[in-house]
Amino acid sequence: MKHVFQHPPETPSPTGRKYWRTMGELNDTPEFRGWLEREFPSGIDEMETDALSRRSFLQLMGGSLALAGLGMSGCRRPEAFLVPFTKSAEWLIPGEHLLYATSMPRRGGAMPLLVTTTDGRPIKNEGNPLHPASNGGTDTFAQASILELYDPERSRTFLLDGQTSDAATFADWVTKLRAEATADGGASLAILTGESGSPTRERIRGMLQQQFPKMTWCVYEPLSNDNEREAMKAAFGSAAMKMVPKFAKADVIVSLDSDFLCVEESDLAAVRDFSSRRRVAAPTDSMNRLYAVENRFTVTGGMADHRLRCPASQVGAVALALAKAVADATISGPLTDLLSAVPATEINKLEKSLPWINEAAKDLVANRGKSLVMVGPNQPAWVHALGFAINGALGSYGPTLTAVAAPAPDGVSLASLAERMKSGAVKTLFVFGGNPSYNAPADLNWPELQKKVAAVARIGSYDDETSTGAKWHVPAAHYLEAWGDDRSSDGTYVAVQPMILPLHGGVSELEVLAGLAGREKIEGPALIQETFKTIAKNVSDDALAWNNFLRDGFLANSAAGEASATFNPAGAKSFVQTNFKSPPVPTADAMEFVMTPDYSVWDGRYTNNGWLQELADPVTKLTWDNAALMSKATATKLGLKWKEDDIRDGKGTGVTGDWIEVVVGDRKVKAAVLVDPGHVDHSVSLSLGYGREKVGRIGRDAGFNAYPLRTTATPYFVSNAKVSKVAGEAYIFSTTQHHYNMEGRALVRELPIGTYREHAGFDHEGRSFVQKFGMDSHIPPSVSIYKHPPMTGQHQWGMAIDLSTCTGCSACVIACQSENNIPIVGKHQVRRGRIMQWIRMDRYYSTMADKEDDEDPQVMMQPVTCHHCENAPCETVCPVNATVHNEEGLNVMAYNRCIGTRYCANNCPYKVRRFNYFDYNSRPLDQLYLGPLAKKGVAETVKLSKNPNVTVRMRGVMEKCTFCVQRIEEAKIGQLRVARDSNNTKVPTDSFKTACQQVCPSEAIVFGDIADPESKVTKLKKRDLNYTMLDYLNVQPRVSYLARVRNPNPKMPGAETVGMSTLKDSHGH
Amino acid sequence: MADTAIETAPPAAQFDPEMVRQITKPPLVTNNRDFHWVTEKVSGIVEMKTPMWWWIAFFPAAVLAGCCIGGFVYLISTGVGVWGQNSPVMWAWDITNFVFWIGIGHAGTLISAILFLTRQKWRTSINRAAEAMTLFAVICAGLYPGLHVGRLWMAWYLVPVGNANAIWQNFRSPLLWDVFAVGTYFTVSVIFWYVGLIPDLATLRDRATNSVKRFAYGLFALGWRGGNRQWRNYEKAYLILAGISTPLVLSVHTIVSFDFATSIVPGWHTTIFPPYFVAGAIFGGFAMVLTLMLPARHLLGLQDLITKKHVDVMAKIILLTGSIVGYAYIMEFFIAWYSQNPFEQWAFLRNRISAPFTKWMFDVPDAPYWWAYWAMMSCNVISPQIFWSKRARANLWIVFAVCMCVNAGMWFERFVIIVTSIANDFLPGSWGMYSPTWVDIITFTGSFGLFLSLFLLFCRFLPMIAMSEVKGVLPAADPHFHPPGHDAPGGGDHSTGLGGGVRMTTPAPSTGH
Repeated sequence: MKHVFQHPPETPSPTGRKYWRTMGELNDTPEFRGWLEREFPSGIDEMETDALSRRSFLQLMGGSLALAGLGMSGCRRPEAFLVPFTKSAEWLIPGEHLLYATSMPRRGGAMPLLVTTTDGRPIKNEGNPLHPASNGGTDTFAQASILELYDPERSRTFLLDGQTSDAATFADWVTKLRAEATADGGASLAILTGESGSPTRERIRGMLQQQFPKMTWCVYEPLSNDNEREAMKAAFGSAAMKMVPKFAKADVIVSLDSDFLCVEESDLAAVRDFSSRRRVAAPTDSMNRLYAVENRFTVTGGMADHRLRCPASQVGAVALALAKAVADATISGPLTDLLSAVPATEINKLEKSLPWINEAAKDLVANRGKSLVMVGPNQPAWVHALGFAINGALGSYGPTLTAVAAPAPDGVSLASLAERMKSGAVKTLFVFGGNPSYNAPADLNWPELQKKVAAVARIGSYDDETSTGAKWHVPAAHYLEAWGDDRSSDGTYVAVQPMILPLHGGVSELEVLAGLAGREKIEGPALIQETFKTIAKNVSDDALAWNNFLRDGFLANSAAGEASATFNPAGAKSFVQTNFKSPPVPTADAMEFVMTPDYSVWDGRYTNNGWLQELADPVTKLTWDNAALMSKATATKLGLKWKEDDIRDGKGTGVTGDWIEVVVGDRKVKAAVLVDPGHVDHSVSLSLGYGREKVGRIGRDAGFNAYPLRTTATPYFVSNAKVSKVAGEAYIFSTTQHHYNMEGRALVRELPIGTYREHAGFDHEGRSFVQKFGMDSHIPPSVSIYKHPPMTGQHQWGMAIDLSTCTGCSACVIACQSENNIPIVGKHQVRRGRIMQWIRMDRYYSTMADKEDDEDPQVMMQPVTCHHCENAPCETVCPVNATVHNEEGLNVMAYNRCIGTRYCANNCPYKVRRFNYFDYNSRPLDQLYLGPLAKKGVAETVKLSKNPNVTVRMRGVMEKCTFCVQRIEEAKIGQLRVARDSNNTKVPTDSFKTACQQVCPSEAIVFGDIADPESKVTKLKKRDLNYTMLDYLNVQPRVSYLARVRNPNPKMPGAETVGMSTLKDSHGH
Repeated sequence: MADTAIETAPPAAQFDPEMVRQITKPPLVTNNRDFHWVTEKVSGIVEMKTPMWWWIAFFPAAVLAGCCIGGFVYLISTGVGVWGQNSPVMWAWDITNFVFWIGIGHAGTLISAILFLTRQKWRTSINRAAEAMTLFAVICAGLYPGLHVGRLWMAWYLVPVGNANAIWQNFRSPLLWDVFAVGTYFTVSVIFWYVGLIPDLATLRDRATNSVKRFAYGLFALGWRGGNRQWRNYEKAYLILAGISTPLVLSVHTIVSFDFATSIVPGWHTTIFPPYFVAGAIFGGFAMVLTLMLPARHLLGLQDLITKKHVDVMAKIILLTGSIVGYAYIMEFFIAWYSQNPFEQWAFLRNRISAPFTKWMFDVPDAPYWWAYWAMMSCNVISPQIFWSKRARANLWIVFAVCMCVNAGMWFERFVIIVTSIANDFLPGSWGMYSPTWVDIITFTGSFGLFLSLFLLFCRFLPMIAMSEVKGVLPAADPHFHPPGHDAPGGGDHSTGLGGGVRMTTPAPSTGH
């Protein structure tokens, strides 16, 4: 688009006359030259500022054109300014998406992605289906990272001592710094960064280390696997590897505070493998069995067949008891020997839980070689060592657990960096990414520490707590804006390629590091290519290999090999012996305080992401906040009050909770309480990442900060916490679900696998056991007295959702939000019950009827989206025909026909319709009530994030799930192109997916053509576990569910209640 | 005029006076008022200097009406979100208020049309004001469905006019029938009311003291001269309009009830709704007529025209319709139990009925909206039962208190039906609660201001009692009437008075005497 207008040179006229076109030309002033040379008139730079809307851009351009015309009318045709692409970009077909492979750098391994771009802007992340670590799925964080790219509050300017600066000044500063650092060998230079598998970063680090041998390189992650690595070093002699569980092979799994179904803690392959063993297609299928030990409900605990409520500090004691039982049963010498390292009293500390633990141990031993014990990263290192020993005794190494080579993050700990800073040795500190002023252990007192360093250069996406007082704040480039590389969780070398030029001139970590290492400014992927050449060996054509690397997004066959790991019992024993600690069992006077990762913001890095903030926590259903979670009994004992439906005028309906103060030593945290069913007594959980002080509008005033209680010694839980009620008006939480009990309605149907095997198949009426749960057991089949319009379409779309594999992770919710331009509505509007998400995750707790006050419920997840009823109750009531059925069975919304009577939503039994009560898409969320006085319009960048194939809805319009009709149409058009004149217009079986289906790591959502007998969804719908919700209404939904099958251990205490919550209401039919 | 004839005829020797007193009905217009008095009294209200109480009443009403309008301007400019609606409670006070007002709007036309056709002569002194009240109530009612839509500027999609997209309305939707039903009802009611006004407008024209009034009343009097032919045509027209209005009285609320009855929401999906809604509308409408008439009667000195007999009759109607409504409430509950449908049972027992004081009967947690349900029950079913007592019907304070209860109770009835049903329906995971915002409150209370303002203006500028019709039921309108003191030849033959006045075969004098 950049081109300089060439004017024909003036040829001297033979008559000697000078012909001129304007006065400007005649005078030939520099201004006039400027007009000629520049494509855009001066002043157009204002376009770079954020406040510029499309309208003001046009005004400005119009004004400029008018001025240009005044200056030299008739010189050229003004259209030159109005055509965006004079030359089409390569491969670009207007209106079609382009997919590029890249990957999202993550702590536990990059997530391979395919990014949908349209007109040069990335709009949607999908998993890379070619890569086994993704297989097409992703998670909430990967989905929501698109929004971060376009976050208008992302840092945009270089700040030098708080004043606006620029990249060139920073580069000069780095050059000067190099000279100084070279002089002292880098002794005064320190670099603090996060975990990364990037080989290029490793290479540059090598370069830096060579140039500045005394440099301090520190890697810090608030939530890390350090404990496991430490234990691994002792038990296996090396930390340069990681343990990869093979869930597909494991029949019995015991999770000791391990939330391995949360993707950030493991990877998508783990979730997929685990799910593959939960899926029951036939009565003969086997299932794995999951035991979970945890203090609060996690996604993993929700999936467990048996769950033991246990304080986080006592999980070690459970591990000991488990080890004892396993050792006794397997007559394992090493394990028995290891147990001699701890006092015998510790082993039987949790008397009440022993029957549970012993049964779990028996099950593990009975499945030797097919069992697995997982220890959560938040548990102390000695518990990990014990876990390794138990797995050793169970013979898990090899069959269910393998060690894979993975370089351990190399660098000093944050504490030793802090030491150096304190001593004044560090003069220059580079902080990449992380936010230590907020999330460093409280005992380090980082903000003060940082003041001791003469020059702190902070490279970050946000001008946040750490940027305060830093000499430099450098806007970081988003991973979709910069070149990079990484390794996925299985060690495969993956590409990180930019989709768009940095929107705000940000720079990447690699660029800054390379600059520091003395490299000239690098254009494009040169830096990565150099690394690539060293990794991709034996390639005949470098350019071709590089192209393939970018096309696929990863380098084939580059996965890390198995590491040779031999369990060293002696090492483990001495490690346990030295590290063993026995935290006291929490009591009412000395509780434990547990700091947990947050499903929405993780450790605080995603705090300014509106999609994640508004995503209900999978378990508590809490949005926009975290909360001090505790059991009902503990809350009652503390004299706290809470309400599940608190109505306050002007504030809507919310769950309210009183305030508590948690005091440990001289540190304290104040937070509001949310009663969490299934939480263990005398324990308070508060997730990390909230209560930020310096953050954008989205993260402001959200939640409570748990970091003040986090110290180097006790990073994940603290014992002896004094918890007391403090005065204050009850805090109102915004939750998306207020009622937790299914009230015996057989909505989520579950049954133990034994019952399923007994009743598999269909009866003479063609109904299966599952279809006769609850009310459906004794009502006659529904008959409609109306004649319904025939569904004549070639395709008939439908969906089946497998409740056995759905973990409730809610990735589908964000995927849908990203795909369908769904706005966020803000905390207040969520409380008002106006959340816009098209697919929601309903969560019910179940207790047996005779134990209403049971504090140990089971949890059930159910994704609910528009059911596309063939007999849709919403359609009959719309007075203006704005919602109608199409011939392919879709219940379609004509937004521009909708006048917003909201009758359809009232008549929808599944309550999936969403109404735009305000102009959520074009008014700031804090000014919704100002009406026409509110600022109109959104930031330019946010507009870039929209999917052009989906309408952005205005206020007053009803909206809902469309089954991703834009994807359906895209597929049909694609097939028409293939078919040409033939009749072959049928879209190939299962050739495309809806957004929620595509993202689902456990492949629980299956969408497709139910008229096609070969499609996956048709086959699922024929299963005897298939049922429809609210069948008696005869609305004939196109969405059906596969009942959740659970696999209880019959010998386990309480096994008779597992999977019985809806079965008990079927009156024995 | 049978009743009055008996009373005013000289007592015949053969009748025991005590027996006569017992079998006669009280007169429709007391104190033997004549035509002239009626004209003077009713026209006098319009012609007198505006009394202070009128200003005292009008000013706050107008302010409230202004708030209502302001609230709606805010609503339209900002979004429906300024109200308290949410998901699942997509309809709340908006439709509650709509059904409430449209219900009130039933009494007027019922009094005018149905009682006209059934020859209830007592209707004449209240029908005009009741009809006016109907119109104003329908105007208030129309505000809500009209303005509650998300995109008001697209509301014309509800009107079956041709458009480029060739999309028609959805004729299956009861909401569309609602638009037609309410629209028709309003149009016919306006015409019916206006036609009834014509002779009285001519009276005011003829009595006008300045040219502006004369022109204005004259314009709307359509050149009425009170001629025989005009009366003939007029009465035909009135009869036809009464005939058209009568089914509308029944149809409007029936169709409003279809909004709920044809849905699938437990608590809405109820076949008893059409008769139940119509009974409820008459119930609420009569209560509102009395609420307005009792003060007006007192303030304007209309005790001779709106007599205790009127109050008594209307109280009886309230008792009857209130009992029908009570029966419907209990029948709904019974059917929910009888159907054994857990969703229906939940909607009644667990959303509405179960209250702290029903613990002995139902051992379930309190319903979230029990207070609304029991407010409705006590106001609508229990309070009118006092009207079994004749003394209660004669005590205007008691009557007024019961009417206020019924007004509140009928609002609660609609609230209970609408909000408690959708707040907690099929999926417990989507249950919610509703709480109103200040905009809800001013758009509701403001509608009373609008209603009162319109009514006060009506009282001030139009004859609030149908002079010509009242004159028709005066004893003097009976062709066989013999004024007291005159000889009554053959009076005994006609004293049964079957020739009634409501057909108005005698042209009542249209001009003031």
